[in-house]
Amino acid sequence: MSAPTGERPRRPSPVASARPQRRPRKPPPQPFTLLGLVGLAAFTLVTAWDWVLGIGFNPIALPGELADSNPAMVEGLFNITDADWRADYAELLRTHFTDPDSPWLLSLDSRIGSGLVETVQIAVLATLVGAAVSLPLAVLNSRLGAPNRTTHAVIKTLNNINRAIPDVIWAALFVVLVSVGALPGILALTMFTIGVVVKLTSDVVDGVDLGPVEAARAAGASHAAAMRTALVPQILPSFASFSLYAFELNLRGAAVLGFVGAGGIGQAMNYYWSQLDFEAVSVIIFVYLVLVVIVEQVSISVRRRLV
Amino acid sequence: MIQFESAEVTYPGGVHALQGVDLTIDDGELIVVVGLSGAGKSTLIRAINGLVPLTGGQVTVGERTLPGLGRRELRELRAEVGMIFQAFNLVHRTTVLSNVLMGRLHHVPSWRSLSGLYSPEDREIAMQALELVEVVEKAYVRAGNLSGGQQQRVGIARALAQQPRVLLADEPVASLDPPTSHVVMRYLQQINRELGITTLINLHFLDLARTYADRVIGLREGRLVYDGPAADADEAVFEEIYGRSLTADDVLEAQGGL
Amino acid sequence: MTETRSRPARSRLAEQVRPERPFARFRWTVTLVLTALLVWSSATVDASWGRLTEAPGRAVGFAQTLVANASLEPLGVALEAMWESIAIAWIATLIGAVCSFPLVFLAAGNLTRGRVKQPVRQLLNVFRAVPEIVLAIALIPFLGLGPVTGAVAMGISSIGTLGKLSAEIVESIDRGPLEAVEASGGGRLTRLRWAVLPQAMPEIAAFWLYRFEINIRVSAVLGVIGIGGIGGFIAQAVERNVFERIGLGLVVVILATMLVDAISSRLRRRLIEGPSPAAQARRERASVAGAEHEEDPE
Repeated sequence: MSAPTGERPRRPSPVASARPQRRPRKPPPQPFTLLGLVGLAAFTLVTAWDWVLGIGFNPIALPGELADSNPAMVEGLFNITDADWRADYAELLRTHFTDPDSPWLLSLDSRIGSGLVETVQIAVLATLVGAAVSLPLAVLNSRLGAPNRTTHAVIKTLNNINRAIPDVIWAALFVVLVSVGALPGILALTMFTIGVVVKLTSDVVDGVDLGPVEAARAAGASHAAAMRTALVPQILPSFASFSLYAFELNLRGAAVLGFVGAGGIGQAMNYYWSQLDFEAVSVIIFVYLVLVVIVEQVSISVRRRLV
Repeated sequence: MIQFESAEVTYPGGVHALQGVDLTIDDGELIVVVGLSGAGKSTLIRAINGLVPLTGGQVTVGERTLPGLGRRELRELRAEVGMIFQAFNLVHRTTVLSNVLMGRLHHVPSWRSLSGLYSPEDREIAMQALELVEVVEKAYVRAGNLSGGQQQRVGIARALAQQPRVLLADEPVASLDPPTSHVVMRYLQQINRELGITTLINLHFLDLARTYADRVIGLREGRLVYDGPAADADEAVFEEIYGRSLTADDVLEAQGGL
Repeated sequence: MTETRSRPARSRLAEQVRPERPFARFRWTVTLVLTALLVWSSATVDASWGRLTEAPGRAVGFAQTLVANASLEPLGVALEAMWESIAIAWIATLIGAVCSFPLVFLAAGNLTRGRVKQPVRQLLNVFRAVPEIVLAIALIPFLGLGPVTGAVAMGISSIGTLGKLSAEIVESIDRGPLEAVEASGGGRLTRLRWAVLPQAMPEIAAFWLYRFEINIRVSAVLGVIGIGGIGGFIAQAVERNVFERIGLGLVVVILATMLVDAISSRLRRRLIEGPSPAAQARRERASVAGAEHEEDPE
């Protein structure tokens, strides 16, 4: 491959008996590759161009735009080099979140503290309820687990529809149905959990050992009993791992819910944002980020042990 | 009594796995079915519990006749017929006892099987089954942690927990080494003798067949080509069944190098 | 039945000892922790559970208003918003793909030493850990509130996930070709081009497409903070209680997302499994037939 190609003397074959062989012509590039490349380039141009259909994304001008910033907001969000700002920030963190008198050092009664707790509660409840519903649904969502083809098709379609609705849109919808608060947030993330866990777990079902299922059927077990005893133990570790993963996603997702009135830390973020109190927003982001990173690290280490 | 009457099985791909088989098996017999792989041995025993549907003829097991059973009757039939598999077919991640309790599934109300809360009576039956094959001390060990021979004994216990009238074993020793094979075969023989359970075993090795069987049935390309007492099944008979001269692969004792 | 049957065997087996049922510590711990979490959360969370009972009634009202006021008049606006979401997602995916691509080969353990790999991995982890909404808010002072902000924020996130997953793909490639190129004297870039890319590229590209599917959902989510797109359309409709717009927005989101998913997953399958055997055979026939007229191969 890396041989020089400048001159190419046709050396006779070292094997004297080699019959003259026909060399195939280099095939033209695959139509798939060509069409794909052209299509992607065109799609990119249309989406990026600042024109009717594009969003006006210009990578060359981007650095300039980044430099041309809103000083008040930059100051508020992250002017960490400024000593006064740091002092103010510490003060803010104290008044909004920490409490020297509390044994936890954190004040959970503050707007930020309670928002944070609510975010965790929403994520916990949504994950527990969603995962509990997901296990039987995941079994039904697989070819092996569905009692008949209709059930399989119906469950699959419903879950595809569910997965096509982003969590915030679910939240907005539930705000309409049960009005604002943590409840629509819990319901929205429950739907989201179901979408994630059912999809991932039912993919695992297709790869299980079919032997025990055959054994259960041969023993005269009903379909449900065969699935429960021969299939579920095999998919349980993956299911637990995916549920934890869904918990991580829920904790991240719970931050946005507040913007549509579905509770959690996002509500506090939205509030301070509308007050133009950017420093408070940055305190929230900081605290929330710490929480997300800690939970993610714990969850990842548990998941590594599960599978 | 099990009776095959011109039983036929043709798989969707067009393979004729069983062609016009007529066969009568009396209660309490120990029968070894021999034949090359693909001769229809697995199909024959799976036709008895309906895991493979017949495409022609019929099979009568006790008072039930296949085909034509409803879903519920089919499950009742299967509950009376225990099955043992080449690959053991245990759930590796659960305990030995849970695996054996799978044999009780037909007799247990669904709330019990779905919650995993089996009754003391069912647990007792499972424990007794484990005692029969002498692995009861492993009852709470994960099935995947057992050796191959122990796993197959658990497989036998699972079948026994059904309290079956018939036991089907599909190449039960094909995944085991020679000494373990004999252990497993002896358990099957003892169970047949002591509990009087009609037993059908698929085997490839002729020496095993001759040692343990009362009666040998030979299959070739889906047809019954031999049916007689094990004592009469000499090498000439096996060459006839296999349609070729015997090789070292056909004798268990020749596999010692494993 | 068992009694009579198992009697003969009993005597032989009398000396076997049944083990005690062990205490399932792991199972009990998990059960206790989960129950405690459930009880604590559901008891202390400020959720008015009673409203759950009103939900079906409200849903009926919602559906009635929706049907009564149904109109396709806002369809144009909704489609435009959906298109914007897709465009944002696409640009974000491109940013992620283009920026993560060079990093992948620095983050793959089989191509670089730990000294290079670790810091790159850490950087990718940071990008991955920060939720998109936080990135978007952090970018607002610089880029304002608009689609480009969303695209850049999601792009940064995508760099993290794509970089990590692609590096794992590169780490799982077959070492053989790598050694072959090395043995024929190929340098670092030659190795990448001829040994790594041919093996890893289809899967990496498939992951890009998969990220695009995810980004469409994320862009709809970010819409509610004001970067535009279908998320904003629906959030506004909810705020103003315009039910028919909510319904229309939902239908558009569901259909568009499922359509993109379907296309993208077909493309991904084609990327990973290669062309169908029939198409492959056709091409081979064509190239052999043309061979007589062609002098130089390759």
